[in-house]
Amino acid sequence: MTTPLLVALTLAAYVLLRKLYLRRPHPLLNVVVLSSAVVAAVLMGLNMPYADYIPARDIMTFLLGPATVGLAVPLYRHRGLLRLYALPILASVGLGALTAMLTAGGIARLAGLPREVVMSILPKGVSIPFAVEIARMYDGVPPLATAFVVATGTLGSLMGAVFLSRVGIRNPVARGLALGTVSHAQGTAAALEEGEEQGSMAGLALILAGVFTAVFAPLAVWILG
Amino acid sequence: MQDVSLGNVFRFIWQAAILWAVYRGSCWFVEAVALPLPGNVVGVVALFTLLCLGVVKLEHVSHAADFLLRHLVFFFVPITVGLMEWGGVFKEYWLELTAAVVVSSLLPFWLVGFVTQWLHRRGKPCDI
Repeated sequence: MTTPLLVALTLAAYVLLRKLYLRRPHPLLNVVVLSSAVVAAVLMGLNMPYADYIPARDIMTFLLGPATVGLAVPLYRHRGLLRLYALPILASVGLGALTAMLTAGGIARLAGLPREVVMSILPKGVSIPFAVEIARMYDGVPPLATAFVVATGTLGSLMGAVFLSRVGIRNPVARGLALGTVSHAQGTAAALEEGEEQGSMAGLALILAGVFTAVFAPLAVWILG
Repeated sequence: MQDVSLGNVFRFIWQAAILWAVYRGSCWFVEAVALPLPGNVVGVVALFTLLCLGVVKLEHVSHAADFLLRHLVFFFVPITVGLMEWGGVFKEYWLELTAAVVVSSLLPFWLVGFVTQWLHRRGKPCDI
């Protein structure tokens, strides 16, 4: 009985906050953060442990895998750009993905954080479905991984463009690739505001960063020990 | 879905079934050959390859894919609710975590931008 109600609650929170966001788009008005905060607040208010929410979660995330595979569709639509800029895309996104993992994991490790936290912060630059699976493979924690992903995306969409200008990155292809590689879909939204070319490059970069991060994760885990 | 006609619903269902089949197939493959990669990453590469080879046509999957991708963030909400059990970690390590997130964002921002611009300048001098 509670499971359908929890699904309905989650859906309602998402639909309402998405509407609000579409009316007043702002990087700090994050639909994922606010919707899940509403659901968590209701659960805590009802004194319901997270375990009671798990059946509802499993129903709702059933289509996440197929949806993620659907990312091949925008990748295919932009295959012309991919061919045109093959070398800069593969080299810079690959390097960026590895650097993001090593710096995030390295700092967390040196600061003496628990291993499950270190493994959850490793994939913080990629889209949530990839980050969750990568974290899980190395004993990270999916909700922690999503928290780091959203934090990185918010940071990137708030100050990515300003930072890139400050360090002299003006080429639209370079700006798009940087925003998509480092701050996934949230960075891509910021890139789209700059222009279509930046937006498409960011969209490509966010998917490829997911692939590279997954491929390099064993190496990063090995380096970090 | 703006236009919720029966035909559109059926089209969504069978297109989602194709995506699901590619996803399950990739997960199965990953397990069968013990590949150290997540099934969804292999699934993206697999569907991209099938599209390039023409085995799957864009119009066979694009309707469902576009709808699911438009609402991709919905799926993250139930996962993020799990954070309610992890508040302590943030209270204890907020400074270290902030430093890790900020440094590991700014450095790759610069690196990706720099490498792309450098390769561009070498290849096509007047492109910037």
